Amino acid sequence: MNTVAIILVYSTSHAIQAERVLKKAGLAAKLIPTPRQLSSDCGSAIRIDAADQEASTAALERAGVPIDRLVAIGA
Amino acid sequence: MSKPNDFFATLAGIIVVGLVIGGLAATLQRIGNPANMGVCVACFTRDIAGALGLHRAGIVQYLRPEIPAFCLGSFLAALVFREFRPRTGSAPVIRFILGMFAMIGALIFLGCPWRAMLRLAGGDWNAILGIAGLIVGISIGVGFLRGGFNLGRSYPSRTVAGLVLPAVMFVLLILAVLYPQFGEDGRAALFRSAKGPGAASATVVASTLAGLVIGFLAQRTRFCTVGGIRDAILMRDFHLLSGVAAFLVAAFVMNVVYGQFHPGFTRGVSDAGEIINQPAAHTTHWLNFGGMILAGLSFTLAGGCPGRQVFLSGEGDGDAGLFVLGMLTGAAVAHNFMMVATQSTAPYILAIGLVLVMIIGFMGRERLAPAR
Repeated sequence: MNTVAIILVYSTSHAIQAERVLKKAGLAAKLIPTPRQLSSDCGSAIRIDAADQEASTAALERAGVPIDRLVAIGA
Repeated sequence: MSKPNDFFATLAGIIVVGLVIGGLAATLQRIGNPANMGVCVACFTRDIAGALGLHRAGIVQYLRPEIPAFCLGSFLAALVFREFRPRTGSAPVIRFILGMFAMIGALIFLGCPWRAMLRLAGGDWNAILGIAGLIVGISIGVGFLRGGFNLGRSYPSRTVAGLVLPAVMFVLLILAVLYPQFGEDGRAALFRSAKGPGAASATVVASTLAGLVIGFLAQRTRFCTVGGIRDAILMRDFHLLSGVAAFLVAAFVMNVVYGQFHPGFTRGVSDAGEIINQPAAHTTHWLNFGGMILAGLSFTLAGGCPGRQVFLSGEGDGDAGLFVLGMLTGAAVAHNFMMVATQSTAPYILAIGLVLVMIIGFMGRERLAPAR
């Protein structure tokens, strides 16, 4: 069962914008450092509830925030 | 994921790696590297520029094996753990310019963020001004990131694009080992300082091995000084900063053990009544502070400290490679145009650099294009 999902984006500024957009849409989102297991990049990513995956990607697409990929993390 | 890989992702992993890098840095100084300069990405890149004949500052010319070894250590780690990803296309020319100004700012202070920590660990209180400037510069950079600044995404590229910088670094390492003379001594490359910091070095073997280990470990953990401060400011996350703190503590403890800790803004007064500065340091506080504002801002806009840029170039990031080449060029320009430390042009280039990098920050803000 997945409890959280990580949205990887292309830059720290995209991550900041993504967090802003998701919070505005009423979704739980937190700016975090990109988890080392997912990328060697030292940038930033967004953690969301796994249940919000579709709503989140839709909200980001509407706002025009490009995303790299979305990874569900096992509990 | 393998277990060792998971360890490097943990808090314990980054702390252990910080301790190892700090300990190695102090030890490199103990066995020959310049004082409070066991490792310094800015200073060593500047020394390499001198060895290649890109500048004429006679006391800082030595083809330091550590920098190519950093890149190659990261390259090996990326190959072993299948993270070698050739990529480029994220505003390479801007990154080159940011690399130049980051280096110019760092050389006004006389050290990269790593050396700022090592200077503090050696008791050079001027480093406090540098670190304060670094934090201010990163904070300004974070402000630009919040305002939408980014350099655009990079794209996967051909393998050869990712191999270029590691290949160049490999050639530099071979040259560092052989140290060939391409003409009359002192008139043709490779140059080598007879005195000053450029004349102080650990053995090639020790420097290379330490560099490879540091490069390998830093690639595995994402060890980054600027990233650490940025994450603490931006999201109150202290993972990377924990590694930096461990680096500082290890260097301090080893400096005390080795008798390398000499606290003060200066090292006192000579018999002739002259003030003795801390090694490769000056006491003009506003330049120490301002130089690192410029460096911190440039590093933040480019996404990482100089060490990080070298490690990223090792795992195939061509844009980080351009930043490294920008640093090499910036070092040459800084020395040739008297911009280093308290030299005559330093205050002017500091002002010009801050204005230009701020312009890059303002102009690099992206407006989102919402779907209709």
